[in-house]
Amino acid sequence: MKSKRIFWWFGLLCSIPIICLVFSNFAMAAGKEILIGAPVHMTGPLAPDGLELKWAYEQAVADWNKKGGIFIKSANKKLPIRLVFADDESEPAKVAGAIEKLIKVDKVDLLLGTHSATMSVPAINTAEKYQMVYHCTTHWPEMFRDQKAKWASVMFFSAVGASEVPFIIWETLLKKEDRPKNVALLMEDSPDGQAFGGGFRSHAKTHGVTFAVDEPWAIGAKDYSSMILKMKAKNVDAILLYGAPTDAITLVRQIKEAKLNVKYMHGWKGTWAVEFAQALGKDANYVICDGFWSEEFPYPLCKELGKRYTDKFKKRSVSIGAFYGTAQVLFMAIERAKSYDKTAVRDALRNAEYKGTVMGDLKFDEIGLALFPSTANQWWDGKQMLFYPPVKGGYQLKLAPEWGKR
Amino acid sequence: MKNLKPITSVVLATLLLGLIPFVSDSEKSYLVYFLFLTFCHIVLTQGWNLVAGYTGQVSLGTHAFFALGAYTTAMIWRADLFSWENYYFDPVTMILSGLVPVIFALAIGIPLLSKLHGDYFALGTLGFGEILKVVCIKGGQFTGGPIGIMLPSSVYTTMRPHYWTALFLAFLATGVVYFMTKSRVGLALVAISEDETAASSSGIYILKYKVLAFAISAFLSGLCGSLYAYYLFQVSPEGFLILRWTLYPVLMCVIGGSGTVVGPILGSLLMTAVFTVTSIYLPGIHPIFSGIIIILVMLFMPNGIIRLWKKGV
Repeated sequence: MKSKRIFWWFGLLCSIPIICLVFSNFAMAAGKEILIGAPVHMTGPLAPDGLELKWAYEQAVADWNKKGGIFIKSANKKLPIRLVFADDESEPAKVAGAIEKLIKVDKVDLLLGTHSATMSVPAINTAEKYQMVYHCTTHWPEMFRDQKAKWASVMFFSAVGASEVPFIIWETLLKKEDRPKNVALLMEDSPDGQAFGGGFRSHAKTHGVTFAVDEPWAIGAKDYSSMILKMKAKNVDAILLYGAPTDAITLVRQIKEAKLNVKYMHGWKGTWAVEFAQALGKDANYVICDGFWSEEFPYPLCKELGKRYTDKFKKRSVSIGAFYGTAQVLFMAIERAKSYDKTAVRDALRNAEYKGTVMGDLKFDEIGLALFPSTANQWWDGKQMLFYPPVKGGYQLKLAPEWGKR
Repeated sequence: MKNLKPITSVVLATLLLGLIPFVSDSEKSYLVYFLFLTFCHIVLTQGWNLVAGYTGQVSLGTHAFFALGAYTTAMIWRADLFSWENYYFDPVTMILSGLVPVIFALAIGIPLLSKLHGDYFALGTLGFGEILKVVCIKGGQFTGGPIGIMLPSSVYTTMRPHYWTALFLAFLATGVVYFMTKSRVGLALVAISEDETAASSSGIYILKYKVLAFAISAFLSGLCGSLYAYYLFQVSPEGFLILRWTLYPVLMCVIGGSGTVVGPILGSLLMTAVFTVTSIYLPGIHPIFSGIIIILVMLFMPNGIIRLWKKGV
């Protein structure tokens, strides 16, 4: 009998969440505020990026609410903005659920995007089903074009363009005699690593570069000695790498131990995290990392945003500007439309130009795509120093001397 | 008459559930999405239940068959294989998406099940998933590589076909498990699960029954993968070839009660509700609460919820 009683209690407990879900349908939007939803990686492997995204969105909302919100014609007054988040758990299959929740449970008016292209594809597909505006960054324009989305808009750089950056740097910022001769391409053995690798190989051909070493980079390996020996044998003087921070740290340490002297080391994904510089100390100097944004950008609010971030987290970021800018552009679109009606906002994000954002002036084309350049930064005494695209009076790229002369 | 009672109850429950999209707006109600997800979990859980719960062979390859089904649907659609106007919820495409995993299940099941038992078989199926993942990532244009295959989401009009198809598949999976367990095949499977040597000496052709259960499980997972491809409109290694699609069915089956027909349904309903509600109301910290619930259930109901009921009765 006791077991049966437990079983009924258990049944009652089960029914509570289901009842919650049934009645969530009747929650009414107040109409006294502009409700923006955003799927975010709060858990899972991409959570550190997700938390940066969340912080940046919150900053943008706080800044606009400080001004009283956004003027909405139908209300004849400024309405405050409220943000609601849903955890996408860093999984493409879960981001669809997060968007279902934001649309159906929270009844959001518009959506801001999550982070990374693999998440953006299913996120946009789900938002499209419900004809909901989805404005995002960190999604490859090439993939976005293929999606033929009617309700989404993207502001980012192209993968093709990003993988051309090192070749442009060598040709425009380095003297002919300083340009690398034997380049190694080490791409993480993962979907993103493979995708990036393809871009580098294609650009190498057009820029007349042949890779002396081109190897998949094993995730989580502890010993890269065979790869380093191969690079030594081929007199490698530049490395392009794509991998996780922990792997990048291990690789740089082992390169130093093996006394492999590389004058140009440019990393993606793994070398931009502050943990990379903290773990390597002075050895991180001269290493180059990618980025979406820099507080050195000569655009309004960039310095202040960078300072706010450093005050809060005691580190610098090369991405928060892109996230802040995404929210900023959506709010500017609402302001321009004088409405948060999804059709009006969607139309305001097509064939439109937004000036004075933290990402500079952005021009959206007929499919809602705006491009900005990818950045390159060099680690110097624990700081990512922007050198590409060059900023007037800004930091100049330094080529790494031999390990013994640093 | 006694035998007809559970069948009638399940048919009535299915019909009632089928009416929900008429009562609740499928485009505005989260309940429809929640039940869709639950039905998908039931299909996968029943498939795993057949192999592990009844036959005693723990498979960790559910995600591989699920992905194979999804990739088959996406490839047929992309290649316009039958020159048809529409592949969206096309029954032929869906059935083929179930059959392709069956071919793979036979190809790997016969060598694995004839040579490996217990943990070794589990690791073998896990290895199959990993191999498939690498193949899909490095498959170039054939598999779409790391990005996968994108399908046109413009064909979407409503959530209703997803809901009804998922309900039908859950009903089908439960029906298959029920009728198999009531047949001679079911008796053979249980005999194999309890004592392989004794079963073999009684004249049961062990490999045949094990492979049969494994292939049916693969068929159900493939059908579910096809349906999920129609929902997500993108089939990628990161979306489909992840261990979650294997671990969730294992967890749901064990919590509900493996080796029973109703256990996987209860487990899927409970765990989908727990995961969903905690992620809605406790975003960011929900894995802690989900974890606590799993630990509590396993501590106090190690044989699954359904056995607690049976004990009470």
